[in-house]
Amino acid sequence: MRLSLMLLITHGKRQRKLGGGKPQRLNILRRVVTGLVRHERIESTYAQCDEAKFYAERLIDYAKLGNTNAGAMRIADYWITEKDLIPKLFETLAPRFAEHDGRYCRLYRLPVTTQNTRDMAVLEYKGNPYPSLRPIPKNHPNSIANILVEGLRQDYEKKMEIDMKDQPAA
Amino acid sequence: MSRLKSLIVPSVRCIVHRRYCSTERVTNALVTEYRNDIFEEEKRRQQGMVRRLEKIEVVHVGPNDPGTFIMNKNLSTPYHCAMHISETYTKYSVLAMVNGEPWDMWRPLTEDCELSFVRFRDKHPEEANKSYWRSCALILGAVMETAFKDTIYVQLARALELPIIKGMFVYDVDLGLKDWTPAKDNLRSLSLSAITMKSKDLPFERLEVDPSLAIRLFQHSQYKQREVEERVRGGRVTLYRMGKFIDIHDGPMMSKSSLVSMFTVAGIHELPGGLYRVQAISLPHDFYLHSSVWNKLVKRASVPLVGDLSTAGVDESWRETKSSAA
Repeated sequence: MRLSLMLLITHGKRQRKLGGGKPQRLNILRRVVTGLVRHERIESTYAQCDEAKFYAERLIDYAKLGNTNAGAMRIADYWITEKDLIPKLFETLAPRFAEHDGRYCRLYRLPVTTQNTRDMAVLEYKGNPYPSLRPIPKNHPNSIANILVEGLRQDYEKKMEIDMKDQPAA
Repeated sequence: MSRLKSLIVPSVRCIVHRRYCSTERVTNALVTEYRNDIFEEEKRRQQGMVRRLEKIEVVHVGPNDPGTFIMNKNLSTPYHCAMHISETYTKYSVLAMVNGEPWDMWRPLTEDCELSFVRFRDKHPEEANKSYWRSCALILGAVMETAFKDTIYVQLARALELPIIKGMFVYDVDLGLKDWTPAKDNLRSLSLSAITMKSKDLPFERLEVDPSLAIRLFQHSQYKQREVEERVRGGRVTLYRMGKFIDIHDGPMMSKSSLVSMFTVAGIHELPGGLYRVQAISLPHDFYLHSSVWNKLVKRASVPLVGDLSTAGVDESWRETKSSAA
């Protein structure tokens, strides 16, 4: 909940209460972030994914400082519970986002199947090796429909040019 | 006296020729039947020339469904190969590429080759697009031949090959009428004729013939005879038949008339010289344009195009005349 309108509604409270209590909340989110670093795409409840997204992105920002940085290593050590993933974070994930300036994660909401289940969501790091969850729209620039419409557009542009030429004289 | 003579002594060459005695008026229906008889005869003769069934290996090199087919030489066509793969290939393939060259779907394969199919939504559908535009001009010719009453004898003069970005395809027709402007209803009924051809799902059959046979086939149209002389390639001439309509053209055509989805005859105007130029626009299946866009395209296609018909094939020297309304 980082939107200002939401802050108005929640009276300034930015965090969800997960698991009952602050340490339990962080433990849950640690597990979610570790799973994300391992699999790069995880499915969980919308609440957990939404909360973990913030920490997952902060983790990448810290990892960009490099594994020689003591602070970065402490943060990574705390957040990643399975220690074999710490090299993966510093050597694979941080360089991937070297040119990006934030927004390293993508959150998709899954369809609600029945009434009494929790809202599920998918959280993924961008640039993961899996095929995209959303179909990539294919462009057909050389298809007949597009060529015909392009002809229309060219005519329109020519007409505009002629109109522009006429304007100063008129 | 000559009338009686022609009745008593029928022509030996073709039984249908007897109908063309001086009392009989030449109509499009009779001419079509005559042409179809000759076409059928030649087609049967050419098929009979294949004495031995030799086998050829055809390798499908498309992005999906790899495989090698053992097909019959000079009998099997890419359409038959498509039938071996799946129904979608038969329904939606526009053209075949044999060893990288555009090849009609109904043209028999002559040797071991690599085959792939082109569809309208491929990454490089240029060949399919060109063949579609040519085929639509042919459909337009078919429509014009069958649309008029028996009292008017329609002779098709020439189909200009225009680029698609021009937004129309064209057929020049000799109607034998003077100062005729079509009403909106006329254009609509012509468009509907074309749509009925699409629903009949007619294949574009191809036949390579001797120029002399083509001249005999087109003996009722001097325009077509002239075109035969211009379109001789390697001593042969290519005829295409769609349903009952026969025409002459070089280039590959699309596989079936069912690949059309929209077809609108945009306008007919008289050219200096007495011919009428029919302009139309069409859209292949699986493409959807909103009616507002389609109406704009039809309006663009209805702008009369004036150019000379001196050359066969691509006509470079067209000149546009914009009507005052546009």
